[in-house]
Amino acid sequence: MNMSNNFSEIMDEDFMVTEADDNVNKYLTFISAELTYGIPIENVVEIITNPSITPLPMVPTFVKGIINLRGQIVPIIDIREIMNKPVCEDTSILCVIILEIGSISIGILVDTVLQVINAPNKMSEPPSKNLDFISGMTNLSDGSIMFCLDCDALVSNK
Amino acid sequence: MNNGMDSMIDMYLFETNSLLEQLENIMLEAEKAKAFSSEDIDEIFRIMHTIKGSSAMMEFDSISKIAHRVEDLFFIFRQNNTTNTFSEPMRKELFDLILKTNDFMCTEVAKIEQNEPITDNIDNFITDINTFIEKLNSNEASPAESAVVSKTDDKHNVPQNEASLQSIPATTSPYIIKILFDDGCGMEHLRAFMVKSSVAEAIGNIFKFYPEDVETNAETCNYIIDNGFFIFLDDENLVDSTVAAIKNSLNIASFEVMLNPALENTQKKGNESDAPSKEKAGSSVATSKSKANKGNNGSAASHQQTKQSIISVNLSKLDKLMAIVGEIVITESMVTSSPDLKGLKLDNFTKSARQLRKLTDELQDIAMSMRMVPISGVFNKMNRIVRDMGQSLNKDVRLTIIGENTELDKTIVDSINDPLIHIVRNSMDHGIEARVEDRIAAGKDPQGEVILEAKHTGSDIIITISDDGAGVDTEKVMEKAKRNGILTKPESEYTKKEALSLLLAAGFSTNEAVTEYSGRGVGMDVVKQNIEKVGGIVSIDSELGEGTCITLKIPLTLAIVDGMEIAVGKSTFTMPITNIRQSFKCEREDVILDSLGNEIIERMGNYYSIIRLHSLYNIETEITDIEDGILVWVEASDKSYCLFVDSFIGEQQVVVKPLPTYLNSFNIKNSGVAGCTILGDGNISIILDALSLHTAFMNSL
Repeated sequence: MNMSNNFSEIMDEDFMVTEADDNVNKYLTFISAELTYGIPIENVVEIITNPSITPLPMVPTFVKGIINLRGQIVPIIDIREIMNKPVCEDTSILCVIILEIGSISIGILVDTVLQVINAPNKMSEPPSKNLDFISGMTNLSDGSIMFCLDCDALVSNK
Repeated sequence: MNNGMDSMIDMYLFETNSLLEQLENIMLEAEKAKAFSSEDIDEIFRIMHTIKGSSAMMEFDSISKIAHRVEDLFFIFRQNNTTNTFSEPMRKELFDLILKTNDFMCTEVAKIEQNEPITDNIDNFITDINTFIEKLNSNEASPAESAVVSKTDDKHNVPQNEASLQSIPATTSPYIIKILFDDGCGMEHLRAFMVKSSVAEAIGNIFKFYPEDVETNAETCNYIIDNGFFIFLDDENLVDSTVAAIKNSLNIASFEVMLNPALENTQKKGNESDAPSKEKAGSSVATSKSKANKGNNGSAASHQQTKQSIISVNLSKLDKLMAIVGEIVITESMVTSSPDLKGLKLDNFTKSARQLRKLTDELQDIAMSMRMVPISGVFNKMNRIVRDMGQSLNKDVRLTIIGENTELDKTIVDSINDPLIHIVRNSMDHGIEARVEDRIAAGKDPQGEVILEAKHTGSDIIITISDDGAGVDTEKVMEKAKRNGILTKPESEYTKKEALSLLLAAGFSTNEAVTEYSGRGVGMDVVKQNIEKVGGIVSIDSELGEGTCITLKIPLTLAIVDGMEIAVGKSTFTMPITNIRQSFKCEREDVILDSLGNEIIERMGNYYSIIRLHSLYNIETEITDIEDGILVWVEASDKSYCLFVDSFIGEQQVVVKPLPTYLNSFNIKNSGVAGCTILGDGNISIILDALSLHTAFMNSL
């Protein structure tokens, strides 16, 4: 307990956030189709750019394919497709966040990765139940809105 | 310390499990033969003895106690040297008892494996065995036998009684070995027991020792510290091997071979009193002993031999080895087909590379063969199931096993265990007719038969489970499937084969009543799932009234396949070489169009459909003209077709990596993808599955 508090204090200095208590979780934020999303930091393994993606036949379009991550085969899914947004035209830089959810490794294709922030644990419920992969939303200090990605829903494949 | 304990437990579990398996096999064999041979009895005695000893050492008292009682039981048989005199119900009771005990020990050992506490309440078992022993003594024992038993009892008792009077018990054995342990080594009684066990292994259980309860009685510890541990031998010839065994034991401070001082007196007394009877008794004891000795020496020798030539290795180490060998295979091709070498003329390099290739091939073969185990372990378990179910369902069924020495990968052997149990249970429960009259009326042998067969065919292993029972009524199957709502097309369109494959669908069970053994409707689809998990296929054949045959086709190993790299557009695919019959170029005129516009080609008198991989998988490629690309004639089980691809890249051995589990939900197994592999340049190639590719093609039409 003590340890983790110390740890978060160090992190706070780095990220210029003043609050530090148990009700705060860390999120990695990223942008996809002009919306800001956040993922709980404990699910994030690493961020890679421009992996060579091998497409798979006969899978839904949001599954971009698989990559070879140092010998491990990781599937890549496109957040834009999942959120029913038009596919990104600019393919010069592919930004992939590798997540580990339970025992499943998965990569998500996003537009831009932003930063690690602290956000309160208790998030507002999204008003609409139609947002399948969103577990909550919250205001950030800069006034923008962050949608929290529901990692479990992401891998459960409805 | 903790590590040491863990590995000890591992060893214990391994040893005990294999002993229990052995015991079960012996019991089932013996039951078939309706009698124990003297080797069987010796073997069971030895097994129980080892289990007793090792369990006591690991402080699993309940197992040790039960093993002890069974050992006692077989001690009696050993003295009588036969169980043939048993009446039918008596024998049945004996077999049930021993098998029940075996089961109990198995579950206890499984509990130890799971780190659960083991059952202490073993009174029932002990009473059961005791009752049986009593019964044996009262009913069955002929006068001569009871005499033997009582005689052994005397032998047991006399030294104990006298021991309380003097330190060294009186004995009839001419040779006494006194063993002293290192000062302060601790647990002297268990060490003594270990010494005793190793002596028993060397010469057989034909000696006596004192104190006799070293194994169970911790107080003997003090006696051994003060006076030593004594072994009594009857025969001079045994002294040498005993001494050798003692020398090999740990923590022995000293030992000494003495002649029995009391012996002369006894001999005199014997001569004086009744010489002929003594001689008679002596000779009979001698013959029986020498017989036992012979058997024991034989088993001990073979035991030692297996000890020398086989070591047990942790499976995870083999997995690691296999993974590394896989990486070496990849790296080897990475090096030898490196783009940097293009255009260079490197004679020596090519020569060495070829040598390297040969060696990695060999290494891979050896690594693979290390994981190969005979299927007999799994097959033999079925004996038990057939026996138990035969009894409880009152069906007379024999199990015929063919090809039990067929070897396959350890992981596969493990994964087919449950499916086989399911299938054999189904055969017993639903397959074989419930009434013998029905079988006789159908002109069959009154005794039902279940045949388990395993055989190799190239890269696959085929396991068939067939019974000569009632067979599957496809009409009933259809009816049931309709009721359960698992039909996917009109009833009339189902062929017989399709109807039978409904049995494998989830939530299907033809038996109306749920029985103890089967009929919960989870059986066959679980079988299918498990087999598919290891890349296998399940198929059912059945003729109503004649029987059912279930075939499992499983790849020999999952790790490495010989593949042909195929290019389509920018993608690379791997087709297992075993599936490729031929590849050829074709002219536009050769292609025949059917009424729906599907392309067909004639090959050696037969017609095959052309599957264009680029259009099936929606891959952009410049090569769409049939004359530009290449046709690959592919064959998988009963499906054959020609695959149209851009070009061949080359033959390569590839290490199969399973696709991420996340993708399983997209039914990827039915789209022609078997897995993937990492090529020398780090790119991924998708390994095609010839059979499901055909299914995917059919579905896309």
